[in-house]
Amino acid sequence: MKRSIDTRAMVRALVVFLVAAVAVTWLLSAQSTASTTESAGASSVVAAPANVSTNATNDALAAQVTGDSVVQDAETTTTAPPRQNNQLAQNIVNGVTFGLLLALASVGLSLIYGTTGLSNFAHGEQVSFGAVLTYFLATSDKVSLPLIPQEFTIGLPLIFAAIFAIMIAGGAGWLQDKFLWGPLRRKRVGVVQQMIVSIGLSLALVNLLQWWMGGRKMRLTTTIDTRHQWGPVDISNQTIMSAIIAIVCLLGVSWFLLYTRLGRATRAVSDNSSLAAASGIRVDSIVRLVWILAAALAAVGGILLALYEQATSFDAGARMLLLMFAAVTLGGLGQPFGALVGSLIIGLVVEVSTVWLPPDLKFATALGILIVVLLFRPQGILGRAQRVG
Amino acid sequence: MTAKENLFAHVAATPGAAKLDPIIVAHGIRRSFGGLTAVDVEHLEVQRHAITALIGPNGAGKSTFFNLLTGFDKPQKGEWSFNGDSLQSHSPAKVARAGMVRTFQLTKALSRMTVIENMRLGATGQGGEGFFTALVPPLWRAKEAQISVKAEELLTRFKLIDKKDDFAGELSGGQRKLLEMARALMSDPEIVMLDEPMAGVNPALTESLLKHIVELREQGVTVLFVEHDMHMVRRISQWVVVMAEGRIIAEGPPETVMLNTAVQDAYLGAHHDTDLSEDLS
Amino acid sequence: MDFIGLLTDAGRELFAPTTAAFALAAIGLNFHFGMTGLLNMGHAGFMLLGMYGYAITVREIDKNGGQFLGLPVGPGATIVIGILVAIVLAALFGLLLGWPTLKLRGDYLAIVTIAAAEMVRFLGRSQSFKNLTGGSTGIRGTDFKGPFESLSPFPDRQVTVGPFTMHGSISTSWWLVVISWSVVAVAALLFWRLSRSPWGRVLKGVREDEDAVRSLGKNVYSYKMQALVLGGVIGALGGVLWSFGSAVAPDSMGRPTTFWIWTSLLLGGAATVLGPLLGSILFWTSLVLVKGLAAMFIPDSWLDPTELEPFSLMLVGVTLMVLVIFRPQGILGDRRELAINDR
Repeated sequence: MKRSIDTRAMVRALVVFLVAAVAVTWLLSAQSTASTTESAGASSVVAAPANVSTNATNDALAAQVTGDSVVQDAETTTTAPPRQNNQLAQNIVNGVTFGLLLALASVGLSLIYGTTGLSNFAHGEQVSFGAVLTYFLATSDKVSLPLIPQEFTIGLPLIFAAIFAIMIAGGAGWLQDKFLWGPLRRKRVGVVQQMIVSIGLSLALVNLLQWWMGGRKMRLTTTIDTRHQWGPVDISNQTIMSAIIAIVCLLGVSWFLLYTRLGRATRAVSDNSSLAAASGIRVDSIVRLVWILAAALAAVGGILLALYEQATSFDAGARMLLLMFAAVTLGGLGQPFGALVGSLIIGLVVEVSTVWLPPDLKFATALGILIVVLLFRPQGILGRAQRVG
Repeated sequence: MTAKENLFAHVAATPGAAKLDPIIVAHGIRRSFGGLTAVDVEHLEVQRHAITALIGPNGAGKSTFFNLLTGFDKPQKGEWSFNGDSLQSHSPAKVARAGMVRTFQLTKALSRMTVIENMRLGATGQGGEGFFTALVPPLWRAKEAQISVKAEELLTRFKLIDKKDDFAGELSGGQRKLLEMARALMSDPEIVMLDEPMAGVNPALTESLLKHIVELREQGVTVLFVEHDMHMVRRISQWVVVMAEGRIIAEGPPETVMLNTAVQDAYLGAHHDTDLSEDLS
Repeated sequence: MDFIGLLTDAGRELFAPTTAAFALAAIGLNFHFGMTGLLNMGHAGFMLLGMYGYAITVREIDKNGGQFLGLPVGPGATIVIGILVAIVLAALFGLLLGWPTLKLRGDYLAIVTIAAAEMVRFLGRSQSFKNLTGGSTGIRGTDFKGPFESLSPFPDRQVTVGPFTMHGSISTSWWLVVISWSVVAVAALLFWRLSRSPWGRVLKGVREDEDAVRSLGKNVYSYKMQALVLGGVIGALGGVLWSFGSAVAPDSMGRPTTFWIWTSLLLGGAATVLGPLLGSILFWTSLVLVKGLAAMFIPDSWLDPTELEPFSLMLVGVTLMVLVIFRPQGILGDRRELAINDR
């Protein structure tokens, strides 16, 4: 079995990326003063602070994440040239944070792919589910369940709501494997067919969420977020908390995968499930565990993203789905550490690209990277060059 | 019997021996995967109009070599030619069009197409396979009729004619092997390369397959096949090439090649005739 | 309980231009997936490009006072030029998309096609290209529907046929109905002709096993590219027809649209000639029926009118799942010729 983290490849990837980022920033530093004032004008129309997207996946709902402009708005606040460095540093911090949160959501996707071969298109909804459920449990606004005409408020403290939501999400992962994916695998349904099933599931779930909660913007916490200034960067409490929790979770997952028997078994199954089965590993149990873990992590990711972006909606995860695929593919499908590396890179790309590209194109940049990676190195950074054709 | 002997009468039983009238000449072919050298063939010539067997223990590189010759894989080094024309950077499709058709170890009968459609697909020269020509049926109907006639002839020969409108997926494993072989003949290839034609075939069908392969030679088609089954090899092949660890370690007529110590070592292990009881005490 | 009204509404969907546009797009997808086994999950991208290509061309010609490259062009020629631009854009997109990805495995192709389609949408709705594409609001009907509508032989007023009333020529009109379904008929005929031709046979072989087809001397990559471009062009034309009935709006051509087309195709039966048509008709009529019946029978307090749309779309998702698991060949498909393969 190959070694757990291909540090050489990771370092290479990071170096390439940093060099490229610095080079391009430098090259465009002359132009960008003009373009940033332009994009500042444009972005105020769209009300899009750099880390919030403006897409809607459902045409019935022209969702615009307005968010509170408490979030740093470097483009529209200052005008002096030194702002360039401010902006880059700010974007890097944002990018790393966003990347960490993306990693939480993507690791599960990668593990599911690795252990079962399924490209799970419904993973975005796992992310949304966590956030939406937390809102449902924590908010002091009135909420209700689909079909039941009763409105009520649960209003748990955020911490408890989050923990409950994560547990329920994990349970949902368990349910999915027990009653849907497991039976399909036993029936030897092909991976392509399963993928299309996941597409149907994604459609069903995203609409279920919309039915349940409507199109509103949901804030998980109504407390005003205090911002701190650390040198050239300003960062909010919630962002710090999110980043810390994300790091802790990711470290936990890494420790699990590297140092526990169950974790090593998981990596074995992810690497080569028939070989793992032949070595006596109970693949079905591992897969069940992976689904629970993936769903729970996605939920954590969703909750933290909701805190980071100040709001969430029924399609928060759906909007992230392609970024998750980009991250996982970039890092190497089926390589959980690859998902981490890929997510950080995608996160950085998404945020840093706003230095010279208009903010509403930042997801397009990430997608462009995905396409380029598949062009030249379909196995991603950490993947092995196996025949992908 | 005499025709059989004549072709190889004066050929040396050494690896890389020159043949009277080689249809394939391969030289210096080397294929490695990471640190592992899978194929390292210095020289090989395959005699035209004969049945040559390529044997060797598991992992000897036979299938890889096959893939290299037919364009399904690219070697790091080497050159090989077919009828004197170099096949170096040819795609598998181009190799097939040149007259070298192969079958696969894991039969690739196109399951969700009917048997007769499988056969028709094997034909070459059907202009209707081009997009614009396809739109104008009169341009390809005549050729299609010709192709169908030929397909039915081959199916009759291979005793699959009754199944012609069944989906290939409904055939038994052995029947699918026959279909693949018949399909390979649709383009009138000069050489047919069979990758383990007996793999997974029940003994009853083996006879039938053997007969068909001999028939091929009688019609002037050269045959090169990879096999594990030594009985089959001895029965129908006129020349045997033995590979082990990526190299050709022996060549010769089937009767004598198995007596070669190098070959025995390769199959049974280098110390197969050592008395182990000494080590055990 | 206005059943008659509901049935009329549902009946309207049977022949509505949107149904036809969808059917056309589904036929394009049928070339991709039904015939060749290509997992194109970005079909909405082709449709959107077709729409943009046509609308922008027509709008620009109009702005130049009905002149194209200095030559005066009438409505007929304008339409032809617009369609040509749409076709060329779709073909280029197909080539660009296919060049790196046709060598990749199925699920990789799926991811790339979704990403590419979303990129088209992002670029289209971006403020940076507002002058060209109209940004997120898109292009208004009045900017590009003119030439098409001016060619209509139907009266320039509301016309009632049986229980259905539509305008003769403007936007969703009888004229559009006639034209859309004619185009669908031609496309279906094309599919029928090609699937029974040697060309189609090669594609079906590719769908099964590429290596086998290669070993028979066919250039698999070229065939897949032809299928991709052809299906994409047909999809683009579907987009153009769609835009005639509404407008060019990037957010209406997103991932959900692609998935709805897939559902229609799989429902009717992939790899069959009439499957896309049947599927599209069933899709739209069922949607109307479900929404109508839900509105009628489920009390407002349980299911708010604003929730009808997501509710019915949720059922679409469930339908897709059930279809793929239990009847992947759809209604008209042959089980032995199951379109879905494990690659």
